Amino acid sequence: MKRVATVVALAALALPSVFAAPMGFKDSWMAMGDFSPNWREGFVNFAFTARDAVGPSLLYMRSDDRLKTRDLAEVVYTRLLQRWNMPHAQANVWFIGGIGAVRGNDFSGTRAMATPGVQVDYETTRVYFSALARLYRADGINHDFASARAGFSFYEADYDEVQPWLIVEARHMRGLSADTEITPMLRLIQNRYFVELGVNNFKHVRANFMYIF
Amino acid sequence: MNKTLIPFALLVATTTGFAAESVKATVNGMVCAFCAQGIEKRLTKLDATQAVFVDLKNKIVAVEAKPDKTLDHKAITAEITDAGYDVVKLEAVSMSVQEIRAQTKAAK
Repeated sequence: MKRVATVVALAALALPSVFAAPMGFKDSWMAMGDFSPNWREGFVNFAFTARDAVGPSLLYMRSDDRLKTRDLAEVVYTRLLQRWNMPHAQANVWFIGGIGAVRGNDFSGTRAMATPGVQVDYETTRVYFSALARLYRADGINHDFASARAGFSFYEADYDEVQPWLIVEARHMRGLSADTEITPMLRLIQNRYFVELGVNNFKHVRANFMYIF
Repeated sequence: MNKTLIPFALLVATTTGFAAESVKATVNGMVCAFCAQGIEKRLTKLDATQAVFVDLKNKIVAVEAKPDKTLDHKAITAEITDAGYDVVKLEAVSMSVQEIRAQTKAAK
């Protein structure tokens, strides 16, 4: 337990996360979306083992001044590196890595892009912490990304009840944004449904969802 | 025997004769309904499964057998493991999922 707490604490200091868990259970498909004016991401993956998933991802990014844009299409492999199942908590370490092609409005053609990253998370029925660090590298492009999330649930809910959470996320992408985006979000979980709605410090509305088939 | 008691006695005998057989598992790591749905989905697909009940607060997963079927404890453990969780205790109980649900709700 002490070891888990140390890993999570170090990661939270050094890194940051987009999703609660980036894959579903074995033999399941998961769809995820993260939408705001400067960041639009759609991601689908299939868990071919209890620890491995693969699927396509589309990501649109825009700079704060709206002048620079990126379109990334990639295939993303997700691996659960380590999981700690405790009586009243769960902690995970994930590898998330993609290979794809990126286009931009300030260069011609398409460039190969690699996006390796690590996510850590710790969750109980009442609190949630996660951190993600991911490189977005291509020839002449460095859009390394970091995000951190923390939140709490307003109350403990049964399996079939709606559970509301308040989640705050801070995230930053090198080369596209000079500022760190801070978004407080209302997260609602009800069995198979997972949605988040918020407004960030740029006054942009943000909406996320996850669904497992 | 008092005639008024005969139907009641028959009912008790019938109920006892067809008491539902279930498996109750204590599972570590179940903290989120969205993530734990894999347990329900995987266990529901088992041939012998009549009903499934997930209790996040008490970390209980209950599986009720169909009337003419027997639950495979190893298969249940494997399905919960494939859903990403750890089974720390598994026991057979002569209760329906509905009864287990009522029991845990009453205990809260």
